[in-house]
Amino acid sequence: MTPEQSQQLKQWLSDIALKRDKKAFANIFKSFAPKIKGFGMKQLKSESAANDLLQDTMSIVWRKSHLYDADKGAATTWIYTIMRNLSFDMLRKAQTQKEDSLSDDIWPIAEVVDDSGEVFSDHLMSQQIAQYLDSLPEAQKQVVQGVYFQEMTQEQLATQLEIPLGTVKSRLRLALNKLKQQIEENS
Amino acid sequence: MSIKYHPKHELLSAFVAGELPASLSIAVSAHNELCDECRKKCEALAESQAIEFMKEDSFNEFELDDFESINDEFDEMFAAITTEPSRPEPLAKPCVNIDYKGQSLKLPRALTSVTMSNWQKLGKLRRAKLELAEGKVHSNLLEIEAGGTVPTHTHKGYELTLLLAGSFSDEHDTYHAGDFIWLNQHNTHTPVTAEGCLCFTVADDAQTFTQGISKLLNPIGRFIY
Ligand SMILES: [Zn+2]
Repeated sequence: MTPEQSQQLKQWLSDIALKRDKKAFANIFKSFAPKIKGFGMKQLKSESAANDLLQDTMSIVWRKSHLYDADKGAATTWIYTIMRNLSFDMLRKAQTQKEDSLSDDIWPIAEVVDDSGEVFSDHLMSQQIAQYLDSLPEAQKQVVQGVYFQEMTQEQLATQLEIPLGTVKSRLRLALNKLKQQIEENS
Repeated sequence: MSIKYHPKHELLSAFVAGELPASLSIAVSAHNELCDECRKKCEALAESQAIEFMKEDSFNEFELDDFESINDEFDEMFAAITTEPSRPEPLAKPCVNIDYKGQSLKLPRALTSVTMSNWQKLGKLRRAKLELAEGKVHSNLLEIEAGGTVPTHTHKGYELTLLLAGSFSDEHDTYHAGDFIWLNQHNTHTPVTAEGCLCFTVADDAQTFTQGISKLLNPIGRFIY
């Protein structure tokens, strides 16, 4: 792959993350589909399993493109590791009848809880926060999860949820106030 | 104390390719959590495996620009994915903590979703089995209390020990947290620990017990496998 192609891939992922750009996604889909399907046939030895692998991999690319960090590596590597993880869990399920998805813990991609934020700095604290989160109204919870756990910017979140940026900001403010209250009451 | 024993290159490469059983994948992942060197090697391996993966076919699809031309099967899939309503992703689960020497010890992330049996105790040994259902490949968390030892044993297959906390010694060396110790049927050893230790072990040893009956059909041999 040339540097231009590699750059193009990054651009498409960013267009998906920021603009939910279906055309960019179609380009990625077309580039990867035959390869993922080939990989699936080889590893999983059935066409329907290979199709499942393709659909699940591409679905993650579509839903989680905002988690791809262009500074940390090539876009192909990111997609390859998503596919590898899904294939590992599928193979394990077929061989052991176990439904435990272990791959995301074995190869944590970009989904590790972000604990750079002040409120979330302490691990135990973030565990407790997860409990408090459940008490929030669904709309507020979504915003907190997006910003603090999925590392999305408020702009990205507004696009993904199809709501105005101002709404994201106000929901976040309400939610954080409520969380603070709960923390104070319980400490 | 720096890590002296690392997984060999072939093992890292198979790990990155997703070709190892879950038990060994967990062991390498847990080692990488403690070892920058191997983690970086794995990142580089993922990069090169992804390049190989993309070479399987030509990359000429990049030239096309209209997405009407994908065949029907892919078309349908594309529609299913892009019309799926967005939903919040589940939170990453926090790591599991266990009680070790009266304190809380965080287990490697790779163990977060694994089902574990209750701890069982035999003398200075304490063990929890991992329920990975991988046939004759067994994995355990094994704690040896200060002053404890495992009687001399050999391995028919392999025995992998990843030291998670504390230290132990055998005839060959002294090992510390992060050390990844791979033994095969040619190795004999008698681990002893002065300060106590916690290990993650993987053994592929089913044959041993039927062959070395006198030494190996003992409760400890079965206990640690
Ligand atoms: Zn290492």
